[in-house]
Amino acid sequence: MLSRTANSIYWMARSLERAENLTRLLDVSHNMSLMPNSKGGQQELLAPLTITGRLDQFRETFSQLSAEALLEFFLFDECNDGSIFSCIRSARDNAHSVRDKLSSEAWESINTTWLELRHRRQRGISHEGVKSLIDWIKQRSHEFRGAAYGTMLHNNVFHFMRLGTFIERADNTARILRVKLEVMESQHNSNHAIDFYQWNALLQSLGAYEAYHVKYTGGLTTRNVTELLILSAELPRSLRYCIGALMSQLIAIEGDQGQAAKRLCAELHARLEYGEVDFITRFGLHEYLNDLLRRIHTIGDEIHRSYWEGA
Amino acid sequence: MKLSIDHVTDFTYDTEVTHSIQYLRLTPQSSAGQQILQWHLDTPGNVHRTIDTYGNVLHVCTVDQPHQGITIRAQGTAEISDTEQPENDRRIPPEVFLRTSPLTETSDAIREFTRGFRPTNEQVQPDQHQLIELMDALLERIPYRSGMTHVQSSAADAFAQGFGVCQDHSHIFIACCRWLGIPARYVSGYVHAGDDQHIASHAWAEAWVENAWYSFDVSNGLSHANHHLKLAHGIDYLDASPVRGVRWGGGAESMRTYALVDQVDRRASQQQRHQAQRQQEQQQAQQ
Amino acid sequence: MTAIEQPAPHLYDEMLCSEGVHAHYQAYLRWLENTPDATLEQKRREADTLFRRFGITFNVYGEEEGTERLIPFDLIPRIIPSSEWNHLELGLRQRVTALNRFLHDIYHDQEILNAGIIPAEQVLTNQQFQTAMLGVDLPGNNYIPITGVDLIRDSNGEYFVLEDNLRTPSGVSYMLENRKMMMRLFPELFLAQSVAPVEHYPNLLLETLQSASDADSPCVVVLTPGRYNSAFFEHAFLAQQMGVPLVEGADLFVRNGCVFMRTTTGPRQVHVIYRRIDDAFLDPLAFNPDSMLGVPGLLSAYRDGNIILANALGTGVADDKSIYPYVPNMIRFYLDEEPILNNVPTWVCRREEDLSYVLDHLEELVVKEVHGAGGYGMLIGPKANRDELNKFRQLLRDNPANYIAQPTLCLSTCPTMVSEGIAPRHIDLRPFVLSGSEIKLVPGGLTRVALREGSLVVNSSQGGGTKDTWVLEGNPC
Repeated sequence: MLSRTANSIYWMARSLERAENLTRLLDVSHNMSLMPNSKGGQQELLAPLTITGRLDQFRETFSQLSAEALLEFFLFDECNDGSIFSCIRSARDNAHSVRDKLSSEAWESINTTWLELRHRRQRGISHEGVKSLIDWIKQRSHEFRGAAYGTMLHNNVFHFMRLGTFIERADNTARILRVKLEVMESQHNSNHAIDFYQWNALLQSLGAYEAYHVKYTGGLTTRNVTELLILSAELPRSLRYCIGALMSQLIAIEGDQGQAAKRLCAELHARLEYGEVDFITRFGLHEYLNDLLRRIHTIGDEIHRSYWEGA
Repeated sequence: MKLSIDHVTDFTYDTEVTHSIQYLRLTPQSSAGQQILQWHLDTPGNVHRTIDTYGNVLHVCTVDQPHQGITIRAQGTAEISDTEQPENDRRIPPEVFLRTSPLTETSDAIREFTRGFRPTNEQVQPDQHQLIELMDALLERIPYRSGMTHVQSSAADAFAQGFGVCQDHSHIFIACCRWLGIPARYVSGYVHAGDDQHIASHAWAEAWVENAWYSFDVSNGLSHANHHLKLAHGIDYLDASPVRGVRWGGGAESMRTYALVDQVDRRASQQQRHQAQRQQEQQQAQQ
Repeated sequence: MTAIEQPAPHLYDEMLCSEGVHAHYQAYLRWLENTPDATLEQKRREADTLFRRFGITFNVYGEEEGTERLIPFDLIPRIIPSSEWNHLELGLRQRVTALNRFLHDIYHDQEILNAGIIPAEQVLTNQQFQTAMLGVDLPGNNYIPITGVDLIRDSNGEYFVLEDNLRTPSGVSYMLENRKMMMRLFPELFLAQSVAPVEHYPNLLLETLQSASDADSPCVVVLTPGRYNSAFFEHAFLAQQMGVPLVEGADLFVRNGCVFMRTTTGPRQVHVIYRRIDDAFLDPLAFNPDSMLGVPGLLSAYRDGNIILANALGTGVADDKSIYPYVPNMIRFYLDEEPILNNVPTWVCRREEDLSYVLDHLEELVVKEVHGAGGYGMLIGPKANRDELNKFRQLLRDNPANYIAQPTLCLSTCPTMVSEGIAPRHIDLRPFVLSGSEIKLVPGGLTRVALREGSLVVNSSQGGGTKDTWVLEGNPC
């Protein structure tokens, strides 16, 4: 498989995953912003900006933080290379350059998403409303995944695609968790109501709200949320799940390349597979997440080095 | 005349180069005018020897390990014939050297200059003597001066500047010849100048008159190449250039070349060294 | 349905004639007459949506980078009876064979130049002539595995060769997609008549490319300038259909005289490059030094015989408009046969007597740049105003060798769906010829249609459209 093809496929998948993650985040922010400020609504608006590290960029364009400005910035802003519009454009561009490697159904799905997104952007957010726009993006994301799963050979192309998806997802989960933690720490943990909404928002933005209630009875606790989002083997957005998937994709890729990435991935996976919440708490959740993020980035660097720089 | 050559080309890069490839025309061939006694080419990386379009020896040098510099060194000795030995070389049809290229395209000014050298009878081709007159007039019109033109300058650029180096002189002369219907080609090589004024890496021209290739060293005003060791020839500088390469990464580049040409027998008697040096710092944009 | 606008009496129409309708169009016309306008309109919209969704697009130069446009697709097919096709096929085989012999000859013994059939300096100083090919031997002496020949018909319906395309002919993907679209929209038409299939073209292409190499199981790639190239869709399409990698210049490198591609499992040797990049951009170390599209070192590997390029380097000299007038003589010289397909009469402006004729009759003639392509830089005499005529007169006097002239062609017409209904529009035909161990063609080719009324310019870069092309097997009923 061509190195450039692998690179394009990987970034196509990362951009798509990023767009989907952002969509969930915006969905939650939008809901929270409808709540009275006492429940942390304003704080919640900040979350997408801090998680994606774009607060400064946002302030250059917008004087005030409002739900409308946030949506404009993250949905359709062409100048924001982290907007959903930009992510999908980048995913589609990458797909276009390797369209011969995608199944025609997968290509048509992503191309249609792009064409319709441009159309919706022209009509503006107010035309159909935020909620249905967000639902539509999520659906398109599901459709592409379905088309890719169901019609593409599960060969190297597919593995590099999954690699991109899971590394982006792992990164996203760790970042969200870290930011939420900071928010709650800053609020001194005194107000249980705020805590509830914060944890709730966190689970929602990772599509894990329903999963939590299937697995745990009773209220939302830091311990359970931590366990679910970091150590669960079943939740498709938990760190353990993502790193496990990353590892199996790396192993499935043909050839002897990528030894370092495989080793780092296996090490990290072992830490998560045999990890315990008590240990994490003792270690310090914040510190633990920083360490995780560092490791994920190193794995990403190694993937770059072995598959498209070293060839 | 017996010459010894030591030619070093040294590239250094600001940052790491991941991959580079060079076309090297640094191996002279024996012919009626020059006898190669011994020659050695030293390069890094993987080297593949072949023959290029115009019959020159071409080494293709690939370095695919990360590197921050490349050094290429050509060394050897050759016996140069004292008299000009025009070659009847038809391996490539001489008419091919009527083709122009971006570097050897004529301009209005060049055509105007050349018009005077057109024989009055259109049926007659200019002969060697008329081309010598052309060469002398050209050197008078465009005196040798370095620093006015650069390596990408075309014949038209240099002519407009009014000054040039050997590369420019050769390009303009070739452009004139071709416009007159005379096949002409660019030659790269070394010259033993006898003084320090001219650099030892040199370029001159050959023109097809009276069924043979005759040399015209415009910069030195010479109609014979008996102080010259020829490396390669082609349509223009790009085809005959001793080193031509492409790299990935590396940032800015600085190149330093150093060519030393000694007359071996003379050195033994007089202990006099002739040398020329060229140092060039080129800041080039990253590829 | 609405009536079909009648063709002009002095032109040949593919469907309609003075007796009513040509025999091979009878069945189709019956169907068309029984199909309501609304159905056709709905099918047209459906085709549009599908083409856009598939991303079958064409990038237009000069517009915002990456602008993609659909090539308009017309629903009414161009139909060719098999007897006519058989004749065309013979003529194409003959022509392509002679052109290949010519290329081998000029890069070796140059017999045709020595015999004085073509002036030597016209070939040797042609910018498309590649000195690097002199004396280079190719497996099977095959220079032009892929050829596209542009054909037109005069007012009597006789076919003429307008142009040979021996460099990187494009359009075959539209031929294939058009057929797929027609079968999807109108399956009933294909049940009722036997239309010769074209879908096996990618298989034939792969066989042809593989057979161009002596290697045991040759690794074939398609080399594209990238996704901003106007024909990127086609490059990707053909690579996918053949199941071979689609590479860009930076994916390849040269080491030890061989060409390799960078893969996730390390370097892999490449044997055949189906290149969709012009000669001048193939190797920045040998040609245009600014090219970012090519592979540095490629020429050295090619001359050493370690890589096959399809088409070969330097084939452009044989499809150059200045060489075109000599093709009938090439056929006579190399094959000792009379041409089956004729050239359009052509005046070569570098000849003095031709130039004076052209200057005297400029308002009747079409003047073309010798090296132009895609309908740029040409003058259509009868359509030109005084300023344009004067401008070209000057151009011709300044540089006569740069131009040829031809009579204003009366391209045939074919009924076409336009906004006012169905009306005759001018068309041409580009069949594709594959030359490997033997010469193969798929029946038909790409029919291009000039959508503007009266326009003769069918190029997609100038707003032309396409039609599906049917070769009917057996006798039309």
